[in-house]
Amino acid sequence: MSEVAWWCSTQGGPWTWSWRPYVGVWIIVAVLLTWYVVGVVRSPSLTRGVRSRFWSFVAGLGVFVIAADWPVAALGASHLLSMHTLQYMLYAFGIPGFIIYGVPPDHLRRVVSRQPIRSLLKLFNRPLPALIGFNLILLATHLPNVVDGLTATQMGSFVINMAWLFSGFLFWWHIIGPLPEMNPMSYPKRLLFLLANVFAPVVPASFMLFSKFPIYSTYELAVRVGSLTSIDDQRIAAVVMKVLGVFILLGIGSVLFFKWNRHENDPVLEVIGDGG
Amino acid sequence: MQVHLKKAARFVIFPLHSMMRWIQIKCLAAFTLAVTAACVPADKRRPGDLRGFVLPEGRPKPSFVMTDTEGGAFDFRAETTGYLAFLFLGYTNCPDVCPVHMANLGAVLATLPSSLSSRVRVVMVSVDPDRDTPERLRAWLDQFDRSFIGLRGDSTQLAELERNLSVAHAVVSDEDEDRSNGYLVGHASQVFVFSPDDSLRVFYTFGTRQSDWAHDIPLLLEGAADSQ
Repeated sequence: MSEVAWWCSTQGGPWTWSWRPYVGVWIIVAVLLTWYVVGVVRSPSLTRGVRSRFWSFVAGLGVFVIAADWPVAALGASHLLSMHTLQYMLYAFGIPGFIIYGVPPDHLRRVVSRQPIRSLLKLFNRPLPALIGFNLILLATHLPNVVDGLTATQMGSFVINMAWLFSGFLFWWHIIGPLPEMNPMSYPKRLLFLLANVFAPVVPASFMLFSKFPIYSTYELAVRVGSLTSIDDQRIAAVVMKVLGVFILLGIGSVLFFKWNRHENDPVLEVIGDGG
Repeated sequence: MQVHLKKAARFVIFPLHSMMRWIQIKCLAAFTLAVTAACVPADKRRPGDLRGFVLPEGRPKPSFVMTDTEGGAFDFRAETTGYLAFLFLGYTNCPDVCPVHMANLGAVLATLPSSLSSRVRVVMVSVDPDRDTPERLRAWLDQFDRSFIGLRGDSTQLAELERNLSVAHAVVSDEDEDRSNGYLVGHASQVFVFSPDDSLRVFYTFGTRQSDWAHDIPLLLEGAADSQ
């Protein structure tokens, strides 16, 4: 076992399959799980849909561990751009959806009433700022100098990962629309919001796919893993971002469409809303 | 009256409110762009500038004969005259610098038109000839480019070459310890580039990127180092 680190950042040398613990990841998981079990599961107000919400929250934490811990994070920070891109997909499109759905509305209300989340929601509860925020974070965190500069340190790497997570919350908040009193968008608007988020990932994905040379020095100057060249790895990363991204967005779009259909055909849901 | 006042207030307050939101969004966007811009250093290089380290004066190409991976004698000076020759001292068990240098050079040569790549010779001299058998050296180099030339010499030849290139002598780490589990060799990480007229004009340190090689190789073949 190698030395303990707070967060995963770029390491020199060849890739080895020796496990390396990242303490920050496990502390975050422990804190969130404790909060959930103590504050949410034991709460008397949680009577409806407890099981699915609990497992959704646990799935969110599971995806977080996959994205932030060894080996995906270690490969993504030091060796393979494709893993770095997979991390982005997990942070932005995986974790927040499970977490937002996993927290029951009563508890979510309590969370969003606290600062600084309340202030953030004042701005980002509108779809346009959320759209801009999500896409700006996506573009800024894929600039070569940002990636090469920040992934080199644990703090920088942590900042990138948290920025991805934040952008994911901006995205999923409007897709799920968990609190009826916060004026969630109608389903057609949610589908439009989803569609509007399809375009920005094309920019970094196109650079990755069509660039003649590797665009990130971190991965170009890393010792290769297996026989994969840095340019092939970069192309795989582009495919991960584009193809996996399209599948995820298509999946979300299908779910939204069927929920819209159910919503339209159910007069009770139409009146009270279905809470996402 | 009150209704009219309310309407008027709404007429004024709503645009102000929207404006404030827009200012917030623009501030966020400006902040993100400013942070991003701060991370992007300005590139002060001119297009014709070489990206390697250009020596103030050219130095003569070293003359040495070592054994290539086929077992034949390879006269470095004679065999590379008229070519742009890249000389690197490395070893096949190297965990980082050597495979990265070789992989990047191989990848760049594959992207160049054959009219250029055919005028380039890449030569790696092993600093660990005990482990780098001809077969092993050949197989290792073939991963990157089958045209790369691997050479082995004795310790005297290697020391002479290192002195000639003004680099530190390659040293085995943990020399006193048991070598059965493998060992590392500390060695120079520069790639020395000799122009077709047999002089050393420029060298490249670890960190040189494929785009740098691709930028410099055509310039070096045109003799750009002579004018810098």
